[in-house]
Amino acid sequence: MKQGRLAFDAVELPPEAKALRSEVRTFLKAEWPVDCWPNSDFGAGHDPAFSRKLGERGWIGMTWPKEHGGGERSFFERYVVTEELLAAGAPVSAHWIADRQSGPLLLRFGSDAQRRRYLPAIARGECFFSIGMSEPDSGSDLASVRTRADPVAGGWRVNGAKIWTTDAHRNHFIIALVRTEPQGENRHAGLSQLIVDLRGEGVAVRPIRNLAGGEDFNEVLFQDCFVPDENVVGEPGNGWTQVTSELGYERSGPERFLSAFRVFVEFVRAAGPNPNEDEAALIGRLASHLMTLRRMSLSVAGMLQNGESPAVEAALVKSLGNDFEKLLPELVRQKIDNLPWHHPLERSLRQTLLHAPSFTLRGGTREILRGVIARGLGLR
Amino acid sequence: MDRLLEETTERLFADHVGKATLDAAENGGFPNELWSRFHAAGLHLVGSAGSDTGWPDLFGVLKVAGRHAAPLPLAEILLAGAIDGVANETHSPAFTTIATGGVAPWARAASRVVTADGETSTDFACSPNANLAGEPRDEVTLHNATPAPVPENLAELLALSRVALMAGALERILEMSLEYARVREQFGRPIAKFQAVQHNLAILAGEVAAATCACDAAIAACGTARFGDEVAAAKARVGEAAGVGAEIAHQVHGAMGFTHEHNLHHFTRRLWAWRDEHGREAAWQGRLGRRIAAATADRAWEFLVGD
Repeated sequence: MKQGRLAFDAVELPPEAKALRSEVRTFLKAEWPVDCWPNSDFGAGHDPAFSRKLGERGWIGMTWPKEHGGGERSFFERYVVTEELLAAGAPVSAHWIADRQSGPLLLRFGSDAQRRRYLPAIARGECFFSIGMSEPDSGSDLASVRTRADPVAGGWRVNGAKIWTTDAHRNHFIIALVRTEPQGENRHAGLSQLIVDLRGEGVAVRPIRNLAGGEDFNEVLFQDCFVPDENVVGEPGNGWTQVTSELGYERSGPERFLSAFRVFVEFVRAAGPNPNEDEAALIGRLASHLMTLRRMSLSVAGMLQNGESPAVEAALVKSLGNDFEKLLPELVRQKIDNLPWHHPLERSLRQTLLHAPSFTLRGGTREILRGVIARGLGLR
Repeated sequence: MDRLLEETTERLFADHVGKATLDAAENGGFPNELWSRFHAAGLHLVGSAGSDTGWPDLFGVLKVAGRHAAPLPLAEILLAGAIDGVANETHSPAFTTIATGGVAPWARAASRVVTADGETSTDFACSPNANLAGEPRDEVTLHNATPAPVPENLAELLALSRVALMAGALERILEMSLEYARVREQFGRPIAKFQAVQHNLAILAGEVAAATCACDAAIAACGTARFGDEVAAAKARVGEAAGVGAEIAHQVHGAMGFTHEHNLHHFTRRLWAWRDEHGREAAWQGRLGRRIAAATADRAWEFLVGD
């Protein structure tokens, strides 16, 4: 943040982005025909084989050092790849978290051994991570987590439960935020992040069915689960600083305003090349939001590229973007008549409406984000 | 925008646009002193040929003007100056204004009128009128008009002028609202400490940031093939932000902001006026929407990305 005011400096994509974009489009045309999935939600498709193909092309861990399997490319290039994948509705969920935040976290705070062990595998699209933050009694109030790690010979014994853990039943590891010291006066102290093998002993994963009938998120239970010292990320007790540093990566990307994009495309298709006045105005309105949100999101990518930690700007992009992706299907449904269930617009509309409640919850609720913005404005 | 130019403009308006100037202009009197100072600083040449300044500077000056609600027809003066061979006055206080649909800002004080249809004259009849912010919007009839070389994209340039003014005014009402919320106390504490107020201010900040971003994107597209589309998106998006933003600013300011004595309405009424001028949101949304529909659904994404 600059001088108490939120600034989103305009960024232009570097020249190499153009060639990269057409490379991604060519790849998608061959590997993922655009009409085979009704939505553009980053959490919608878990496909390890597809993730491996992206890994082969160097499109996972793009910004990381080459010695860790990365491509040493810019955040802008990564942005181009992620937005093209999302716009096409490609199944990116398997590697998404590892690429977006677990990898960068390990790169910044992890040990040499951790970086060597996990990063190249993540970049190949072979090693998938889940986020271990929320607990049954700790949602927005993350510092109140109660999962405990007690010191034992050679490591830690973990007991407790994480919840809403997306893809824990399919992924390999979870980075769990746990309490390694009893809570004292400073509730942000005494927290640590541990890498836990989701298939290891003492870990049980129970899928939770969502209202759309899908089973993407889970409860993860730890019962006397042994975690060796080498799996502590960064310094024990530094968990809060680390976990909050992930948020710039987590909150500002194109996935925060493209979840409902498929509905937009199908509405344009249904309206045809000569839309009526109402249809044209709605397409234009939604487009004006999409174009602006993308500029803002790109601007945050520019801040990341400059090594800044744009937590407030990222919260603002996510907040605006999430409200938009909820508004989009609401506006579209009022401009159409009832369609058969198998109509592409109806399918994507149903999918999106059923998943929309999660848009303003996952990754920080609307209320938490507004609080972060208010703090950034100097009101707290 | 050139940093020094921005600071010069900012200082000039900060020093010379006060409540008294705004009220006087609203009563129909042209602010001669402000115009002389603007002219004397050479700012009237911004954007014109040979001035070493360009579109980003011209629209940047308008953004600053919006931040101060500067009661001059600067959009028209600067755009007329940027159109080669139209505005040929060299001495203050003469200036050229631009008429669209027979209405021109501050024609009562202007020495020349150029119409969007491509005519110009120094001889015109003028019937005073105003927009809902009280800014003079006079009805004009030209006599002895001669052809004027107005560019094809004048409508876009005028729309972008209102986008820049709105972006500036939105920044200002955010500043005013934050300041007021910090000093106004109720229930024994500043209202900025109440979560409900904080959330409204967070929404306002989001709209302001979006408006600035959309405005900057359109300015950056000047002279490119994307210009018309970026202006359409910006006028639509910033027009929406103006409505949402003004509503929240007033809610934060309470009854005080509803008084004539308070400064807030000079900005909020301008926002309500400017979002209507040179095409309301729906008009530009429709234009943008038809462009995307014509590009077809399979190219909609490419259209948005511009690549």
